[in-house]
Amino acid sequence: MSDFWVLVIKELKDLLRDKGLIFGIIIVPLIIYPALGQMMQVGFEQAQGETKVVLVNLDEGQYGELLIKALETAPNVTLTKIDALSIDDALEKAQEKDYNMIVIIPENFSKAIESNQKAMVEVYGIIKGISGGMREAVSEGRINAILTVISEYIAKLKIEQNMEGDPDAILKPIDAKSFTVIKGRVVAVPPSLVANLVAAQSISMPLVIFIMIMLVSQMSAGSMAMEKENKTLETLLTLPVKRITIVAGKMVGTAAIGIIAAIAYMVGMRNYLGSIMSSSGEIGISLEDLGLTVTPQGAALFVLIMFLAMVFALSFAMLLAVFAEDTKSANTVVSAGIMPLAFPTFILMFADLETLPVAIKYLLLAIPFSHPILASRAMLMGEYSTMYVSVLYLGVISTLTLFVTARFFTTEKILTAKISWGRRKKAE
Amino acid sequence: MPMVEVLNLEKDYGKVKALKGISFYINEGEIFGLIGPNGAGKSTTLKILSTLLRPTAGEAKIAGYDVVKDADKVRALISYLPEEAGAYKNLTGYEYLQFMARLYAKDRKKAEEMLELGVKLSGLGERLRDKVSTYSKGMTRKLLLARALMVEPKLAILDEPASGLDIINAYTIRQTIKRFAREKGITFLVSSHNMLEVEFLCDRVALINKGMIVETGTPRELKEKYDAENLEEVFMRTVGAKISEPVGGEGS
Ligand SMILES: Nc1ncnc2c1ncn2[C@@H]1O[C@H](COP(=O)(O)OP(=O)(O)OP(=O)(O)O)[C@@H](O)[C@H]1O
Ligand SMILES: [Mg+2]
Repeated sequence: MSDFWVLVIKELKDLLRDKGLIFGIIIVPLIIYPALGQMMQVGFEQAQGETKVVLVNLDEGQYGELLIKALETAPNVTLTKIDALSIDDALEKAQEKDYNMIVIIPENFSKAIESNQKAMVEVYGIIKGISGGMREAVSEGRINAILTVISEYIAKLKIEQNMEGDPDAILKPIDAKSFTVIKGRVVAVPPSLVANLVAAQSISMPLVIFIMIMLVSQMSAGSMAMEKENKTLETLLTLPVKRITIVAGKMVGTAAIGIIAAIAYMVGMRNYLGSIMSSSGEIGISLEDLGLTVTPQGAALFVLIMFLAMVFALSFAMLLAVFAEDTKSANTVVSAGIMPLAFPTFILMFADLETLPVAIKYLLLAIPFSHPILASRAMLMGEYSTMYVSVLYLGVISTLTLFVTARFFTTEKILTAKISWGRRKKAE
Repeated sequence: MPMVEVLNLEKDYGKVKALKGISFYINEGEIFGLIGPNGAGKSTTLKILSTLLRPTAGEAKIAGYDVVKDADKVRALISYLPEEAGAYKNLTGYEYLQFMARLYAKDRKKAEEMLELGVKLSGLGERLRDKVSTYSKGMTRKLLLARALMVEPKLAILDEPASGLDIINAYTIRQTIKRFAREKGITFLVSSHNMLEVEFLCDRVALINKGMIVETGTPRELKEKYDAENLEEVFMRTVGAKISEPVGGEGS
């Protein structure tokens, strides 16, 4: 076995047997996220339950009856008619029966419609306890949808009686049909839908990349700091092993665990997002329908970019850890050093790089962690030239950082450099 | 050619001058003791020879290789035991020795031999199957000493090897060091505070104080020169220490 693999295996053993670490990075995401998703789903399902409506009809004409018919036949709505003298009276009766919606058809409802005046229906949602009104919001939406349909229906009736021509066209003279041009192809899908689809992609991707980068950095810095804390570093550095091998062994060992952890996060997260998505409805089109397919070339470039970004994160975190005396300060140093680099990438979740001010655009491009996110989109769009630029840039900056880190390991700085918080002093 | 040659070695930690130009040599197969009070610069010297620190000035060679320029070559010859050291907490003692053996040995067979020797030297028996995190301080020290010796280096650099060990274990380790020097021709550089230990163990010693070597020679030579009964007295005289009254003691 080469020295490199001996070091990697030691690293894996040492980390994988750390119960706290394993619990924190693998078990927690695998349990917490799905549990969270489950809880959300239960909430959704409750909100989606039957809408129980108490109806008070003070009108005597035909339009009141029409509305009642519509409500009665609507799905997910159960209607109970009651007699009430006033709103207060109706409220009391509804609460008695545990109903959450009240619809009141006022006295002159039909008359107003007949004389071409605006008629009003009053809709009350009774929010109780800690449900936060989600159920009532859904119910209100349902009732409003019914009212819109009835409204349109009555309008069309009136048009038919008084005018010639297609009532539909008169009611809504202009309609739009939306298309999206993507990768030079015209698809009969509105841009808003495409945007939704791509947004789902472009929010989850940066999130996963962010988690992966943070985990991997924390771990490599932590394992470096652990060597200092447990006083194993001095011995390690006097072994007949090249320093670059020591650095590489540590990076690969911690990266392997970091990737396992990231996968745990992704699986957990997917369950979590999955249970939300399924309850809020699918868009019904896939990326393939839009001609956004991933070619082997695109995938290879993306993997390469991810790899280079990881190398940068790892070597930068190790470089930062050189200055940390123990695991606690390693965490602080890494958070202070990597977070600012990782956070701006969140801008890319919501903004298009090309539409940002030039200064911000180049600032973002200078941050290595922007590139995997941009690449995840470029991969779909087939813009390989920008991916090659990313590979080139990341290649240069990762090599540079790795080189600097390895340099630090060959000097005595690794043993003597330290930052003591509060009061900064330089010891060499 | 001596195994170790140190010439006008200086080391500054920022403003602190830890070494102010020390020189000494160690012959092959010799057990050499570096003795001196706290803060004298013993550990600093040993760290420079182990390629961990760079000297500010002067030079040090091991088997003819410069510790700065030929650090890789030097590392292949030495084995260093730090003054304060630990082992990987989540590995068992056995795995720790195995890890080290694999890094030092050129082939599988050699690694097995080293490991076998390490297991014997550690004297930890069944406890080697337990995680290092469950070891006492002395047990960890024994593990680390076994690690340093099992690789049978050309030069073993041991910073206070017996610190934290009880009398019996300290005695055993001294015997082992002597045996390794005689039978395997391994050269030893040890630092210590314990004059009895040094007198019993070392072929030659250097007394170091405030970053300067004040005396070198065999324990016998030094005792004769200073007309002292033991090294402790020699040490007191060379350092010129006026023994301060114990704080709060009877004399105050
Ligand atoms: N990392 C460091 N930064 C600053 N000064 C240091 C550092 N290490 C050691 N020194 C200083 O260098 C001097 C020599 O220290 P060294 O550790 O070599 O002494 P020592 O002889 O090993 O002492 P001891 O018997 O207490 O182990 C001391 O004054 C110490 O304060
Ligand atoms: Mg010391």
